[in-house]
Amino acid sequence: MDTNNIGLFFALAGAAIAAFMAGAGSAIGVGRAGQAAAGAVSEDPSLFVRVLILQLLPGTQGIYGLLIAFLTLMNIGIMGGSGDISLTEGLLYLAACLPMGIVGFFSAIGQSGASVAAIQLVTKDPSQFGRSMIFPVMVETYAILALLISILSIFGIPGLGL
Amino acid sequence: MSVVPMKRVMICALKKDRKAILEYLQRQGVMEIRAFMEEDDTFRRQDTESARQLFMKNSELAAQALSVLDKHSQEEKGLLSSLEGRKSISAKEYYERLEDRDEVRGICREIVSLEKEYADDKAQIPKLELEKISLTPWLSYDLPIDFEGTKQVAAMAGTLPGALTKEEILAQLSENTEGLETLEVEVISSDKEQTCVLILCLRESEETVREALRKMNFAKPPLSNKNPAKEIEAIERKIDALTADAAAVDKKLSMLGSERSRIRFMQDYFGMRGEKYEALGELGQSDNVFVLNGYMPASEVSRIEKELTEKYDIVYETADPAPDEDVPVLLKNGPLAQPLESVVESYALPGRGERDPSSLVAVFYYILFGIMLGDAGYGLILMLFTGIALKKFKDMEPGTKGMMQMLFYCGISTTIMGFVFGSFFGDAVSVIASTFFGRDDIAFKALWFEPIDKPMKMMVFSFALGIIHIFTGLGAKLYADIKDGHVMDGIYDVVTWYLLVGGAIVYMLTSKTMTDMLGLTFTLPAIVGKIAVGCVIAGAAGIVLMSGRSSRSIGKRAAKGLYNLYGATSYLSDILSYSRLLALGLAATVISSVFNLLAGMLGKGHGVIGVILFIVIFLIGHILNFAINALGAYVHTNRLTYVEFFGKFYDGGGRRFEPFRLNTKYYKVRE
Repeated sequence: MDTNNIGLFFALAGAAIAAFMAGAGSAIGVGRAGQAAAGAVSEDPSLFVRVLILQLLPGTQGIYGLLIAFLTLMNIGIMGGSGDISLTEGLLYLAACLPMGIVGFFSAIGQSGASVAAIQLVTKDPSQFGRSMIFPVMVETYAILALLISILSIFGIPGLGL
Repeated sequence: MSVVPMKRVMICALKKDRKAILEYLQRQGVMEIRAFMEEDDTFRRQDTESARQLFMKNSELAAQALSVLDKHSQEEKGLLSSLEGRKSISAKEYYERLEDRDEVRGICREIVSLEKEYADDKAQIPKLELEKISLTPWLSYDLPIDFEGTKQVAAMAGTLPGALTKEEILAQLSENTEGLETLEVEVISSDKEQTCVLILCLRESEETVREALRKMNFAKPPLSNKNPAKEIEAIERKIDALTADAAAVDKKLSMLGSERSRIRFMQDYFGMRGEKYEALGELGQSDNVFVLNGYMPASEVSRIEKELTEKYDIVYETADPAPDEDVPVLLKNGPLAQPLESVVESYALPGRGERDPSSLVAVFYYILFGIMLGDAGYGLILMLFTGIALKKFKDMEPGTKGMMQMLFYCGISTTIMGFVFGSFFGDAVSVIASTFFGRDDIAFKALWFEPIDKPMKMMVFSFALGIIHIFTGLGAKLYADIKDGHVMDGIYDVVTWYLLVGGAIVYMLTSKTMTDMLGLTFTLPAIVGKIAVGCVIAGAAGIVLMSGRSSRSIGKRAAKGLYNLYGATSYLSDILSYSRLLALGLAATVISSVFNLLAGMLGKGHGVIGVILFIVIFLIGHILNFAINALGAYVHTNRLTYVEFFGKFYDGGGRRFEPFRLNTKYYKVRE
């Protein structure tokens, strides 16, 4: 094994963590919300579009994770480039990916609870759709904050010249 | 623009005109009927509940018949049929169509009873199938199953658990009957679950044999007095008959599909009549006259008066509602703000004395949406689809139409933001240019800057926009306070916050570390910082001293004031919340760039196949990205509006204006 490339490994591990943790969280979240949504549609098929929107809300973390993973891959040259990454840089990329991975995972699951409740609310009173949407979106704020930190870190790393 | 001013209207007219006037008002749909008057000796309210229920029942019957028809006959429907809205018919056609209402009601009843027959048929079949299955092992038995034997010989047919041979049964039996010999066992069928047997013995030993069989878990055969083969045949005939009947009923029902439009009309008609009777119950009626009370938008008052007095002998009185009255709320806005009324309404309609925030919402809503989706290509798609839908479906229902218009304006804003921040399907232009034309110099240039290159700049811009948004919300509160004559409240509740938050922001800009971090090119001089600190202190003092002014006790007031000062942290989180503009905008562009990259990798150097692969990946990727990000932009714009913006000034709590009108599902009547 060429130890010069160990930095690349850590950076790639970071990208992987961002993609798989946030993605796994979203998969769990959308799955749970989907069960509630199917139940709602079985009672009233006209609710389909509304509950579909609520079901999708915990899905965004997976997208953010993907985004961070891609940004990392592009920066470290895996998607065309040299792939010349020092150990320090690799570890920095790993650290930069952690907020998105970890917060993405937990916030997606937390958000799914709010989504399920929102779907139940819409089933009982479809006119409350506008408000019901806000509860899950409150949770997403934290995923967005994590995304922001991850993005800013990844953009910042090449400039450090390490 | 605003909440529509309402008038209280009273109409007093002769009873002979009652039907005509009510129908006129129902068609106009501008008045909410309310029973303001108490009943007295002259004016009584008529109990219309039973009549109303009767009409509603007919309407429901029609609805039920329609849902049955949907099960049995497919209706040709376009993919976009939900955009079409209610069909409009002329008043003449309306009265013509009423002629055959009894016939249509008969059809509805027939449909419902046919459905019952169909369901009964369908329910019986599995029961018969089960019977058939239980009889099948007995197929080779050529006696009636309930045959009990002759005078001398007892016959017992039944089943024993498990697979057994004749010898095994005989052995078990003789064990239990102490060697009774005059026994005949015939195995009719045997599988691993059970063995069907016929056992013959003399009448006199019947009891002993039965006892022995009981120990062996002998069970009775299926109930039947026929020979199994015949019985199965009979069951099969029955199943065939039921299946044929169900099919015939299904066919009849699918033929009745052509009655749909008539039944729909009936559903609307009876629903309308029902609502008319509901309104009728709100009237005060004497022997010869009736009185109608309610709310009407002030702009409609004189027109309705003119049209009514022309035709009927009426007394028409209007009054302004009392200030503490629960007046229903109707919003009216210009073309840009009107589509956002539904956004406001799903939060809450303006409460008593509150102003309609729709126009203020509109100023920011489209901009925020545009930044979050932020792609000229996606904006054009949004404009194209909603524009075509709006053009093609003129009869669209107001709710759907509002949504379409909103998305159309959002599309315009998204397109503009796409140009400003240099995104057209991500970096599609430069990817296509370099993949297929070998030109690396062509790109979709940003008019301002590209957030992906300068994320800090974008973040500062997002925060700045957020501060403007929040301050506008506070300003709306100040404006309302001044307009309503509570100038001091405005100063205590709004100006103090302006000083505190605004001062803190300005102070931050005097620090070199801060401006460097934010990538700003300027740092405010120290003297400005001193003034800013003064503002912060003044604001904080104002909040501590004055925000608890509703409490009498000094201690309580101070505690409240301090608690409210703690609310300053919420301003911090509110402003940070606008970082989602950067995050979502970047998510949209970066992911579309990723799809472009993938498409470009596959497309390069493979000739025609490469082009096809490029197009396929490009389409799939961008459709996905568009859907997810448009949804994200929509929900997050709503969130910023509801939480960050409305939180500053808007409570809501008004009741929606529900005029007495033709509340139909399928048809509307032209005047």
